[in-house]
Amino acid sequence: MELFTNLGLASAELFSLTTMALMMLGTLVGLLAGAIPGFTIAMAVVLVLPFTFAMSPVQGLATMIAVYVGGLSGGLMSGILTGIPGTPSSVATTFDGYPMAKSGKPGLALGIGVWSSFFGGIIASIVLMLIAPQLALIGLEFQPVDFFALVIFALTVTASLAGNEMLKGLMGALFGLLIATIGSDVVFGLPRFTFGIDAVSKGFAFLPVLVGLFAFSRLLNDVRDPDSASKRLGGDQSTNVVQIDYIASAKVVLARWGNVLRSSLLGVFVGVLPAAGSTISNILAYDQAKKASKEPETFGKGAVDGIIAPESANNATAGGALIVMMALGLPGDIMTAIMLGALLIHDVIPSPSFISDEPTIAYSIFLAFFVANFMMLFLQSITLRGFVLVTKVKMYMLTAVILFYCALGIFALNNIGYDMWTLFIFGVLGFVMRALGFPIVPIVLGVVLGQIAETRLSQVFARGDGLDVFFTRPWALFFILLSAFSIMFPSYQKHMGKKRWTRFFLPVLLIVMSVPVFTMPGYVRPVIAGLMLLTGIVQLIMRLREPSLTADQTPTT
Amino acid sequence: MQLNRDTAIAIVSLLICGALLVSTFQMPEPMFNQMPATLWPRMIIVPLALLSLVLLAKAQMAGSDESTPIRSFSDWFSYYKNPIICFALFFLFLVSMPVLGMLIGGLLYVFITLNVLGGWSPQMLLRHGLVAVFFVVGMWTIFTQLLGVFLPEGILLRVY
Repeated sequence: MELFTNLGLASAELFSLTTMALMMLGTLVGLLAGAIPGFTIAMAVVLVLPFTFAMSPVQGLATMIAVYVGGLSGGLMSGILTGIPGTPSSVATTFDGYPMAKSGKPGLALGIGVWSSFFGGIIASIVLMLIAPQLALIGLEFQPVDFFALVIFALTVTASLAGNEMLKGLMGALFGLLIATIGSDVVFGLPRFTFGIDAVSKGFAFLPVLVGLFAFSRLLNDVRDPDSASKRLGGDQSTNVVQIDYIASAKVVLARWGNVLRSSLLGVFVGVLPAAGSTISNILAYDQAKKASKEPETFGKGAVDGIIAPESANNATAGGALIVMMALGLPGDIMTAIMLGALLIHDVIPSPSFISDEPTIAYSIFLAFFVANFMMLFLQSITLRGFVLVTKVKMYMLTAVILFYCALGIFALNNIGYDMWTLFIFGVLGFVMRALGFPIVPIVLGVVLGQIAETRLSQVFARGDGLDVFFTRPWALFFILLSAFSIMFPSYQKHMGKKRWTRFFLPVLLIVMSVPVFTMPGYVRPVIAGLMLLTGIVQLIMRLREPSLTADQTPTT
Repeated sequence: MQLNRDTAIAIVSLLICGALLVSTFQMPEPMFNQMPATLWPRMIIVPLALLSLVLLAKAQMAGSDESTPIRSFSDWFSYYKNPIICFALFFLFLVSMPVLGMLIGGLLYVFITLNVLGGWSPQMLLRHGLVAVFFVVGMWTIFTQLLGVFLPEGILLRVY
């Protein structure tokens, strides 16, 4: 009942003519950004951010969510028509979307992609509305030590996703944390690492740092050599203008509702994990769809399920990322980090009590995510021709203009030139670090999460909790253990099926994680812990009975 | 000792860690039994230094990095010419901001960057000029007139 009351309050705020017009515009910008290969959604959200300063919190966030949703869907257009994914979240869409388009059915391929994005987004928004308030209730159990452990977990996951560069990923995350310590300490405001420069004593606002690290390194990398600078965004292929076959494609997608549901839920789950994001979810969903398909041999040749899975998953991932940001106040990826920044600018501080303290804003975000999917569906059909034209723009033109927009937008943040210098310095740093093989995302999340971590740690101190609290508090122990496993995860992935110890990774994970879950309050979680323990033990016994691996054996999972 | 890219990164990282660690000893003592200002930075610096040592060890075990060709300074400059010029132009844009302001500075910055990256032929000059005017003046107008943001106006052009 409370859900509907809050939705009613939010509707009154959200469904104004101005907000709807802004959301339409945001969706359009997102679709446009998504359609341009090499132009990421995060970049689009960054560029839109300064415009939201003059808006109300609901308007600003609704616009940014619209950009986010539009961007996730926009990537499918260039992916299907040119074979070049507009965004990393549409990589798997090209595997079957492009072959289907080449086989003479581009309208059907686009239609399937658009409907799958739509249903993925709708399923995610329903999950968001149902899960986020519940997760926030769990978040209320969190004490400072639990939050601190959660931040550590987020950083280790981010670093572990750097794959072969995990060491540099971890170093990058620590480097990001170190950047966040520059300025003054959170307890007494004492200057720290200023080296006598007065201007640095106020530290670095995280948005200029984030934009500098991310946008500069990305854009300047794209124009590094003159040939790639002169390339058109959508490649040099000629693309014929097509019409989306809506009715036929809707029927095709609805006939495969199982795949839509599975991929969407997988997308939400991946979105909840810190830093995982739609780049991973679309590939995972594609892989799962192929494994579940009765005709796996058709994948890669224009399989319908091969388009449905990644497109449902990537849109649903946005819902998952929003769940964590709304419920726990922690950004899981760059997009939600920027949105967190937008909320802070409007003096709204996300935390576990955010949904109950600010129901209008919180439920407006839920609703905006829901509505943006309808807008995406509508706009994608009428603007397709224009998007194809935009992909003809050359890379260097985009770079020059966007770098200027970054400077302008960052200045508008606090109206001080210092922020533009921060942008420049971290732009250089980001470019150099990328060139040296450091993944940028862990650095960015380190900067964003650094202050949160230090604040929580200082609260642990202020409460007089000893260090043993990390091992006696169930949630803290849960995240510390998860952090340890996430550090080992890349090694597990690399050696899976090849080395004997990898057989025991998952059973041991289940058994170990059941310990903190068992000590949590209530009845449900201890029961879940019991099930985890039982499953872990059964799996362990089964793995022990399996014959040893031989050198030429290939992985089975 | 083999000198490759990761060895250089590890050494620089260790030097930074050392300098910052020394700097933490110059910070004031904590008051009222609160968390010292040095604790959190040290909690970051120590593992960062340890990871740098691991990177150094790995880099030494790996030997010379054959995947990264050794370049002379001129090769290196020509390889990164575009980004270096873009950064230099952006630096000039910021330095000249108090004189040129956001509008004139922005126009010049975008126009010159476009020409440096795209070419200086008469046709390109015209096209780049139009792009710079359209996007810079357009965005400047939106920010100043629509959003009410006071952008730096410089000495040359007084708008407010």
